[in-house]
Amino acid sequence: MTNNNNEHVPCERHRVSVAHASQSFIASENINLLVNMERANQSHVLVGCRGGGCGKCRIQVLEGTYLSKKMSRAHIKPDDEEQGVVLACRIFARSDLHIIPMAIDQH
Amino acid sequence: MIKKEKPMKYGVMRPGHVQIRVLDMEEALKHYRDLLGLIEMDRDDQGRVYLKGWTEVDKYSVVLREADEAGMDFMGFKCVSEDVLDTLRHKLVDYGCEVQEIAAGELKDCGRRIRFVAPSGHAFELFATKEQTGKWGIADVNPDAWPRGLTGMAATRFDHCLLYGTDVPATARLFQEVLGFDMGEQVVAPDDSKTLIAAFLTVGMKAHDVAFIEHPEPGKFHHASFFLETWEDVLRAADLISMSDTPIDIGPTRHGLTNGRTIYFFDPSGNRTEVFAGGNYHYPDHQPITWTADQLGKAIFYHDRVLNERFLTVVS
Repeated sequence: MTNNNNEHVPCERHRVSVAHASQSFIASENINLLVNMERANQSHVLVGCRGGGCGKCRIQVLEGTYLSKKMSRAHIKPDDEEQGVVLACRIFARSDLHIIPMAIDQH
Repeated sequence: MIKKEKPMKYGVMRPGHVQIRVLDMEEALKHYRDLLGLIEMDRDDQGRVYLKGWTEVDKYSVVLREADEAGMDFMGFKCVSEDVLDTLRHKLVDYGCEVQEIAAGELKDCGRRIRFVAPSGHAFELFATKEQTGKWGIADVNPDAWPRGLTGMAATRFDHCLLYGTDVPATARLFQEVLGFDMGEQVVAPDDSKTLIAAFLTVGMKAHDVAFIEHPEPGKFHHASFFLETWEDVLRAADLISMSDTPIDIGPTRHGLTNGRTIYFFDPSGNRTEVFAGGNYHYPDHQPITWTADQLGKAIFYHDRVLNERFLTVVS
């Protein structure tokens, strides 16, 4: 029952900058990017299901490396993933990141 | 044994099952089995997992299938007999539906299923036969109050689905005219058109067995809902949601529509789950309870009286 509750484990933290935004936020490696953003009280990206199913939190990662978990193919095609287009709730920072929020997808 | 003939209008008895697509089965089981507290009953050679709430007499009511997309594959309703299934199949075809028969055994220990797609874009099934294993963990004779060994929220049963899709008026008509559902509650446009925007349909005494809300995209899944006995159980569910850092949508709160006490949260694939307690009842002589769309905030979240954007637009 402890799906996400591993935040007490020490881990690396990275800075996430957002295109066209003055604020950036810190992302812990073991918490997904969207929840890191919410915890920083920032709202660059829309928050939906937080589980990779609804497509609300679509972003493009312009710079940096990350780990990603499975995302609904209804919203992220293999081509998208190659371009760094992902759902923020399913990626985990492995370096500092530079991201751009994307328009809500209409698939 | 007394054989009951069609206790419901046309022999559709109740929600029987829902097959939900999940992105990762082991993560999904932490949600449906360990957190929601459904009982894992079986698995099949396709890797699907079969579960149920402990009070349900049929072997299972929730089927999880690992897939590349979240959402609902289909929802099934149980009918009183195989004869009724044949009658309803003809009625559906006469009504203009494309009907497909799925052979017995495709779902484990389930008889043949008659599948059709509603104008809303969702696949539905009718079936009459499924293995009955009885309530889980208690005897059929001189039963105890509840079984030991339940986990998490200890959800008692799969209750209904809320589905977002196209043409709610035509969908509601099909369910009423062909399948014998009643309109328990409805949301209509506040103008003279009184256009149907949401339909809460029931085949029995419950406030709803399936509900639809008008949405531009067909076939979307809003949530599957599970029944708890008390408001205290809903609050305890809320505690468990926080303890496990499970993504929440809204609640605990009350619905105006159906009058249920509720909380919404998400499975690890982004499918929404509801647990709720209480709610209205329905008899066949009841007129539909009507809400107007200008009061939708109160209709959906009775205490906040405003809708959150997420509830209206986040679907899988």
